[in-house]
Amino acid sequence: MPSDAANAPTCAVAAEASESLLAFADALLCAGQADKGPAAGDIQQFLTFFLSDEELGLPILRCREILRVSSITRIPEAPAYVRGVVNLRGRIVPAVDARQCMGRESAPPTSRSRLVVVEGAGRLFALLVDRVARIVKVDKSAIQPAPANAPALAGSVGLGEATVHLVDVDRLLHLGTAPGGAKAAESEQA
Amino acid sequence: MEDLFASLAKDFVDETQPIAQEISALLLKLEDAAAAGGAANTGLVRGIRSGLHTIKGNAAMMGLPPIEQLAHALEDLCAAYGEHESGAAATDVQLLFEGCDLLGRLIPSAATGRVDALPVEAFLGKVAGQKPSPAPPGNRLTQTMGVVPAVAEVGDERADQASIRVDDGGVDELLELSGETIVGQTELLRLHSRLARGQFEANDVALMDQVLTDLGRTARQMRHQLLRMRLAPMSTLFGRYTRYVRDLGRERGQPIQLVIQGGETAVDRTIIRRLYEPFMHLVRNAVAHGIEAPVERAAAGKNPKAQILLSARLREGRVTIFLADDGRGLDMAAIVAKAKVLGVDTSKLTDKAIQRLIFQAGFSTAKAVSNLSGRGVGLDIVAGVVQGLGGHIDVRSVVGKGTVFVFDLPVTVSLQKALIFGVDSETFAVPTGFVLDTLEVRERDMQEINRVLLLSWRGDFLRSADAGRLLGCQGLAQAWTRPYAIVLQAGNKRGVLLVDWLSGVQEIVVKPLDDSLAACRMVGGVTVLGQGRVVPILDCLEVVRRTSRALSAERKVIPAVESSYHAF
Repeated sequence: MPSDAANAPTCAVAAEASESLLAFADALLCAGQADKGPAAGDIQQFLTFFLSDEELGLPILRCREILRVSSITRIPEAPAYVRGVVNLRGRIVPAVDARQCMGRESAPPTSRSRLVVVEGAGRLFALLVDRVARIVKVDKSAIQPAPANAPALAGSVGLGEATVHLVDVDRLLHLGTAPGGAKAAESEQA
Repeated sequence: MEDLFASLAKDFVDETQPIAQEISALLLKLEDAAAAGGAANTGLVRGIRSGLHTIKGNAAMMGLPPIEQLAHALEDLCAAYGEHESGAAATDVQLLFEGCDLLGRLIPSAATGRVDALPVEAFLGKVAGQKPSPAPPGNRLTQTMGVVPAVAEVGDERADQASIRVDDGGVDELLELSGETIVGQTELLRLHSRLARGQFEANDVALMDQVLTDLGRTARQMRHQLLRMRLAPMSTLFGRYTRYVRDLGRERGQPIQLVIQGGETAVDRTIIRRLYEPFMHLVRNAVAHGIEAPVERAAAGKNPKAQILLSARLREGRVTIFLADDGRGLDMAAIVAKAKVLGVDTSKLTDKAIQRLIFQAGFSTAKAVSNLSGRGVGLDIVAGVVQGLGGHIDVRSVVGKGTVFVFDLPVTVSLQKALIFGVDSETFAVPTGFVLDTLEVRERDMQEINRVLLLSWRGDFLRSADAGRLLGCQGLAQAWTRPYAIVLQAGNKRGVLLVDWLSGVQEIVVKPLDDSLAACRMVGGVTVLGQGRVVPILDCLEVVRRTSRALSAERKVIPAVESSYHAF
């Protein structure tokens, strides 16, 4: 057949094109995750937020994204620290009130409030904070141990004038799911 | 006898349908191979022939002459094709395609016992015109068992839902698990009879705790196993477009190749079924709007043979699907212009955000309506379907390079029919299986006795609860002012919820609640309605229990073990 010669290389090109198409699609998926590589040396990065006038930090490797507070669906009888659930592009994740978790007075969200989507204890949740502040780099050696009465904190670090309390994300959620949390909700209902 | 035939016919359809699909796929390969040079396709021909042979045999056994004859004729065609392979005419392959299409259409009708012989006649005539045909003799018209209009699409869909192939191991495991539930029940019965006699023992609570935990785990495993049985490989979806893409290409006089990757990825059948239409739409769009004419492609230095990619892979417990084309990309100017018409301000939007506008209602930018382009089904509908399945759709496009639709979907879904209702400013869903009745409340049907609200319903008085108060809504409305009532039945108990509004029954996807919400016993899960709105699904067993409990004078304390049952 006369088309033989022309067709053979075409097939090779076709295979290549489909590869590049896949690579293109892959790149889309990975976009936004590329900057999550391990931090160099002993420097850790934290995303900080405010509860009232207190600045707290979340390890940036655990933060997936920051959202404006849109609709949070209340779940009847939810423990006080869970304000409800939010729809994260099809995934339903609990919206956890950072104030309640840290033992502060709860406050209604304002226009500056944000949901920080955090990965903790093996799952995703959206942490409701008063406002998101900044990203800070912290040398591990500069981290002071947390006081014993603050189980949700991993430590604190002084940055110039300010002190940033570092949140232990895994423990934060674990505290919530501990029997105490569920019981509290129960007694509230009764 | 009737039943036996029906079940045999069903087996026939189940068995031969995949073979017909397989043959179709082999034919495509054969055609590609023929275009590439003609050699080394004896294996393909053999594969096709053996498939046809199986179908012929099964059809003969079932007494379905039209299918038997068709398969026979196709086998002959195949044999002839195999003999003079190099000189094989494209018309032969085209004829084979036609015949296989016909086969695919006829097979589902076998389930009804009536197979239309007329199209087979016509086809055999066509083959005879091509070359002397060795078709078997006999008055075929008398063998017509009835005339059934060929509705391939509907047939496909039904075959999809009809039956699931399950491996023995899966059934064994389910059987074992169901055995465990019986063991658990026996244990509970023993406990119950002892407690009923007033014989309490020190570790009863711990014992019950253990049994309930075991039962809970068994139930979850059974559910998991059942959900797994519902999985099917993505190739069952992707494969259905191979032929479609080829035909679309033919229609346009342009070769288009469908590349499939990750076809083995297993996904819930419901998802596969629901995605069929949206994907059809997107594939059609890609060809109609995305892929350039061969001349244009050549001018841009692109391979004249356009490509469409369908790829699936598992990622973090979900499935990611790409539907990509290497066409001209989205027409950004057209989207922006359309946005202006619709009054959307795009000046502050990023390119990504502008591209995502195509999922908004009324955003079709098609200039000409052709047979290929959409027929009223918009991308907003596609996005809606995906959202309804608990998924998410996104699009990325690079001008001149192509467009990729990215789907992020759960691997399994469970569907349920539910009644949607509202109270105060909140919306809830109740599975319809628990709903006995819904009615408008007239004041004279309501009574309050001992601070218990009673609704008169079909000569009965049912204990009623204000949904707003029961569910802890922040509203000021009183039970008396709620205009509607939902009568629920769970087990042998009935209860009434008084609500503000009712909206229709709809099929919803049930999503589990996060563990941190395990204590919320009145909520069994959540679902996502239009515009991504999350709505709690009520656990009716608990709700009915509460409505009746709200009335009993002495409120009983809930034993502590129950909470652990739910938490596990």
